[in-house]
Amino acid sequence: MNTADFDFVRKYIREAAAIVLEPGKEYLVESRLQTLAREEKIATVDELVAKMRLNPQGDLARKVVDAMTTNETSFFRDLHPFEALKKTLLPELLKRRAGDRQLSFWCGAASTGQETFSVLMTIAEHFPELLGWNLSYLATDLCSKALARCTNGRFSQLEVNRGLPAQLMVKYFTRQGAEWEFRPELRKRVDFREMNLVRDWHRMPPLDIVFLRNVLIYFDVETKKAILAKVRKVLRPGGYLLLGGAETTFNLDDAFERVVLEKTTCYRVKNES
Amino acid sequence: MIDLDRLIEQANAMAPFPASTVRLAQMAADPDCNLTDVAEVIAYDQALTLKLLRGANSAASASATPVTSVQEAVSRLGTSRLVALAVASAARPQLCQQIPAYGLDEGALWRHSVAAAVAAETMPNFCGTTVPSEVFTAALLHDVGKLIMGRFLSPDDLRFIAEARDVDHLSQLEAEALILGVHHGELGGLIAQHWDLPPRVVQGIIYHHNPTEGHDVVCDFTYLANEVAKQIEAGIEEGRGDFAISSEVTARLLTSPAQLDTLCTIATGRFAEVSLRYNAV
Repeated sequence: MNTADFDFVRKYIREAAAIVLEPGKEYLVESRLQTLAREEKIATVDELVAKMRLNPQGDLARKVVDAMTTNETSFFRDLHPFEALKKTLLPELLKRRAGDRQLSFWCGAASTGQETFSVLMTIAEHFPELLGWNLSYLATDLCSKALARCTNGRFSQLEVNRGLPAQLMVKYFTRQGAEWEFRPELRKRVDFREMNLVRDWHRMPPLDIVFLRNVLIYFDVETKKAILAKVRKVLRPGGYLLLGGAETTFNLDDAFERVVLEKTTCYRVKNES
Repeated sequence: MIDLDRLIEQANAMAPFPASTVRLAQMAADPDCNLTDVAEVIAYDQALTLKLLRGANSAASASATPVTSVQEAVSRLGTSRLVALAVASAARPQLCQQIPAYGLDEGALWRHSVAAAVAAETMPNFCGTTVPSEVFTAALLHDVGKLIMGRFLSPDDLRFIAEARDVDHLSQLEAEALILGVHHGELGGLIAQHWDLPPRVVQGIIYHHNPTEGHDVVCDFTYLANEVAKQIEAGIEEGRGDFAISSEVTARLLTSPAQLDTLCTIATGRFAEVSLRYNAV
């Protein structure tokens, strides 16, 4: 891919999604756009970028953003955050919110839904009483195509092999041809919405648990700070933020404090118990 | 990204394993399995019986008295080794293929697979924890995903993977996952599922490069078998290579890190002899 095309695409991605693509990432851009070109029946990546330049607000440009922001996901990814959820966070919130029986979750980079459904399975397995509460679950992503898959709740064998224990697969999924479908009654509890983290956060409810894992790594420092400040505003007192293993609030937002729970770290706003 | 639907289709289009081999693999995964039942399943499959007797009488296994019955073969080799031989026999035609996308000449993947099986056979003497029977089969088939992946990798894919390794210092596995959306371990797991192999064999294959994510000791052992196999091959060719093995895994499996070197030395010494048994089936 030539330098001019790479610079155009990375500038476009930065403006649209605040994602930083450093020089050297040409291979990644080219590989993702090559797949998109094939899907769109466009002969070459050069031709695809030329079409994108002609209509930067068009559908193709949108698909380029989707192609560059789709990233790896799996059920119970890293496992330890889900252990923390089961052993500490949910028992604590269960007591704290026993009065209003209301809990709200947000998964801010839902991708194709594996993290959201892992949380729901954790709740259904270990805290089924919560399903009788006023439980709200918001799952958002920038990519509309990924969100459509969340709503649909269907996964290939390859996807269910990624981190989903066999006993949970049998209990919460049903085979539909070559795919596995997540239980609709749990899936319907989730409000799936398209959302760009760097734009305004419309209609964001007060939240008890925020999953924002493996997404800050793609942003520059200023964007990370802005997002963390917005998270702080929507977290209810006693609420928790979960980030990816390589992410932290340290040096970005000192209003957060680290809470180390065995092999994982969560964050909450300081001066709260 | 690679066409995942077509990959899955291809994995599911692989020739199935003989029913007796699948049954044996499933029996071996059952802690209550007994040798008489194993011998019975083998005896019903004449072709398998002949192959296993050949294996049992190869230089690696034979004593002064030749093995003439399935019962003797079972008691001499043990269930795990016999099942690995049956699986080797079923998978050999595929594992012998050349895979240019991975730089593997004809027979190279087979040799590496056998080296991993030899490593798995040697491990019980060095590990502080019992080696589950599924490890032998998982070790033998750990790279089976390369068979399908190799058919799909275009020159551009190979270039992108190489750049991901060079520019971002990713492992082969991480680079495959980033560029293709799937890695050869996952694809191998799909093939093992298609062959109806036990779930722990599938897990061992999927996580043979990233065992900690598999949360099962079978994944640790399969990872170790692969790493020792590389040392066996390097040792045979030009002396031991660099051993960049996860200290997390060695701490979980070995009673002392120094045992690793001894394990490699003994497995290398046994390779030529034991591979005769695998080549006989």
